[in-house]
Amino acid sequence: MSVQVYIPTPFRRATSNKDRVSLDAADVKALLDGLEAQFAGLKGLVRNEQGEVHHHVNIYVNSEAIESLRGLQTALKDGDEVSIIPALAGGQAALAGGRASLAGGADTGALPR
Amino acid sequence: MPLTPEEYARVSAQAVAEYPAECCGVVLARGASPNERLFLPCRNVQDDLHRKDPERHPRDARTAYYIDPRDLLTIGRREAEGYRVATIYHSHIDTGAYFSETDKRNALVDGEPAYPDAVYVVISVMGGRANGANAFAWDAARRDFLPLEFTVPAAAQ
Repeated sequence: MSVQVYIPTPFRRATSNKDRVSLDAADVKALLDGLEAQFAGLKGLVRNEQGEVHHHVNIYVNSEAIESLRGLQTALKDGDEVSIIPALAGGQAALAGGRASLAGGADTGALPR
Repeated sequence: MPLTPEEYARVSAQAVAEYPAECCGVVLARGASPNERLFLPCRNVQDDLHRKDPERHPRDARTAYYIDPRDLLTIGRREAEGYRVATIYHSHIDTGAYFSETDKRNALVDGEPAYPDAVYVVISVMGGRANGANAFAWDAARRDFLPLEFTVPAAAQ
């Protein structure tokens, strides 16, 4: 079965600038395995060493986040569209005593991996 | 042109309306025509993340933004139609319009800029009033986000 994968701008340098990839996969885990086999640069960008999807990466099957489906075990069928989208986030400088510090010290607002 | 006067006015209004939470959004562009720009205000879900998991997300929306993943999906779909992320904006609450270390770090994916061609606009909101903005872009030679010359569009001042 063929599944269309949408690759957003932040990950395209790992896919030779391809924004769409077609893959055969029975579930999301198999799809990520296949993508990483095809594009080694994606390793570490989407999943950690334990094979878990980074917290700052969102994966959708059609319009449903996989967290609300069956996670990596979410089954795929012919014609499904999968989107892999990293978070877009930020914020002001580090907090110090409940107030924002302009000194730019250690920040606590980094995207968790 | 990171923001047209009309877009800046909308960013400013959103920033004031969402105070004391940081606001966020993007402008998508296709080609060079001003008719091919899409202004997409986004939802900041940082408060939800903080409430659900304060250890992983120690900040609330007063000091951080996290664009709703559903908006990211919309952005992705527009990208698939040929639009590119031209401008990414957010507000800072009761502090200056600088590009923080958090902003810089989160604008990188594995050490490379997530959107290398995008301009980041930060608008300051002090006491509930818009208080100026600055723009920043990735400088490939210096491998850093540096300020751009940015004048608040006249019609929005």
